[in-house]
Amino acid sequence: MDALRRSLRSPRVLIALGMILCVTGCAMFAGFLAPHDPGDQNLLSILTPPAWVDGGDVSYPLGTDSLGRCVLSRLIYGARTAMLVAVFASLGAMIIGTVLAHVAGYFGGVVDWIIGRLVDVWMSFPPVILSLILMVGLGVGLGKVILAIVLVDWTRFCRVLRAEVLVVTRNDYVAAARLLGFTHWQTIVREVLPATLPLLITLVSLEMAIAVVVEAILSFVGLGVSADQPAWGQMIADARQYVYQSPWNLLLPILAIFFTVTAFNLLGDGLRRSLDARLSETGR
Amino acid sequence: MIATVLKLIARRLLLAIPILLIVSALLFCVLRLLPVDPAAMSLPPNATIEEIETKRREMGLDKPLPQQYLIWLSDALHGSFGRSIALRRDAGSLVASTLPATIQLALCAMVIAAILGIGGGLLLFRVRGTWVEPVADLASVLLLSIPEFLWGLILLFVFGVALELLPFTGEVAPGLPIPHFTGFLLLDSLIAGRLDVFVSACQHLILPALALGLAFSPGIMRVLRSSLFDVYHEDYIAQARLRGLSENEILLGHAFKNAALPTLTLVGVQFGILFSGTLLVEVIYSYAGMGNLMVDAVRNADLPLIQAIGLTYCIVVLLINTAVDSLYVVLNPKLRVH
Repeated sequence: MDALRRSLRSPRVLIALGMILCVTGCAMFAGFLAPHDPGDQNLLSILTPPAWVDGGDVSYPLGTDSLGRCVLSRLIYGARTAMLVAVFASLGAMIIGTVLAHVAGYFGGVVDWIIGRLVDVWMSFPPVILSLILMVGLGVGLGKVILAIVLVDWTRFCRVLRAEVLVVTRNDYVAAARLLGFTHWQTIVREVLPATLPLLITLVSLEMAIAVVVEAILSFVGLGVSADQPAWGQMIADARQYVYQSPWNLLLPILAIFFTVTAFNLLGDGLRRSLDARLSETGR
Repeated sequence: MIATVLKLIARRLLLAIPILLIVSALLFCVLRLLPVDPAAMSLPPNATIEEIETKRREMGLDKPLPQQYLIWLSDALHGSFGRSIALRRDAGSLVASTLPATIQLALCAMVIAAILGIGGGLLLFRVRGTWVEPVADLASVLLLSIPEFLWGLILLFVFGVALELLPFTGEVAPGLPIPHFTGFLLLDSLIAGRLDVFVSACQHLILPALALGLAFSPGIMRVLRSSLFDVYHEDYIAQARLRGLSENEILLGHAFKNAALPTLTLVGVQFGILFSGTLLVEVIYSYAGMGNLMVDAVRNADLPLIQAIGLTYCIVVLLINTAVDSLYVVLNPKLRVH
């Protein structure tokens, strides 16, 4: 916990938190911030450029897409989709991965072997392929995207945390807790989990970046959220067909994805630096 | 050493068999959860219900799931992966005809990623302690935040649309013949003696391979740098310095060789992920590889094809991991004795 407070002084973490706050603000107050309804079509002004370019319209600050929908509004509502997926998918993956990692690392033996093989089988599927196949099985929709990411990415948490739990469990204070009469459950929750928490938080931050990318990829391929829900990946797929007429429509959602993913990666990187004891020793 | 490597390969392949069995069973189950009737889809829309029922029985869809899986498995072992519903062709031969293009793309991308990653890693390490370090470090985080599909779009936009320097759709310029010998276009065009096709194929390959290479280089950079840091704690580095070797001689002649091994493991893991990353890049550049075939199959809910392609991706990734492990044994003298 001390390390967490220390990490709040790192400029990386602060900048990253600022950027994340920005995207979260857009996501939460999309209704107030967006000048138009993201689904409203104005077929009389399609593919208009942003307001500062020649031929731009002030009422559409970032222009319109091929159906005359406001790009700015769609970007803002797209942030909502991206953040919902980022938060819930990484939390879900974290819960499954963390529980299995603690069970495997703490109890060891047969349980550890079974969970280890389960992770092996899962990891032999390339993530992109597995998520595509899952989306075929599940069908499109926001909840399905989240579920697919959870089902693909829990292994990231499980693999990394299990190694950490193995190390922590060997500590004397864990044995002492058992001798004091703690149950296994109490020992894990009160003694092992707090020790793995810093690593866990770093992993969640990195996973959020991955979730944003995966959501964009799935929407880009047309297997993400449903068509009436604005998503950055969908905007890119749409703009790609009109790239000569209106390059802004392609560049803006790319920038939005880059901004969000950078924020989460920067946060993860900053946290890792201030939380990883070995790294701070060598001054990294 | 050869015996050790062979033993390792044999062990890895034996281990791969149960994994592949479970993976194929999982694939089978997930795809059967679909609310799609493969029998109805493979018949013309005006087929009667009796016809569909007959077809269902013919395709074995009325049997319980485990039995269906065993039928599919025995067919697959005999080299038959069923027929694609949408394309009405043998799924196995469809995969075989697109796999070389994807392998070619992945290999070119890997070479680019390795060059950029090793160069960048050495550079990141060389600037340690100077004012450049935090900047370079931040740059590597930023690079890490651009996945292959964003690189694909950015490069397409900059070099294809804005500068009009390079082509960005298909594999060769339209109108040029595509020679067929091995399926690897670069090789085939040389065999056919068509330099114009070769040049065109190279031009078409640059952007997709660069997009993938750029996306996978930052990981290699960072691991190489951190393993260089580990290596620099060793006595032989201090000793080399005492002998009066220059920093560059130490870095390239002594440290790099030893730091390269952990990096190689990562390159192997990365190559597996890169191989599946080709999917998006292929879609973006309309490149006729397995990824495009997969996306079409997914859009058409073409179950036999999805199953064949999904399994192929898994097999290739398993093979890559085995190859990298063997390479590791060949290169690491410590693992040769046992």
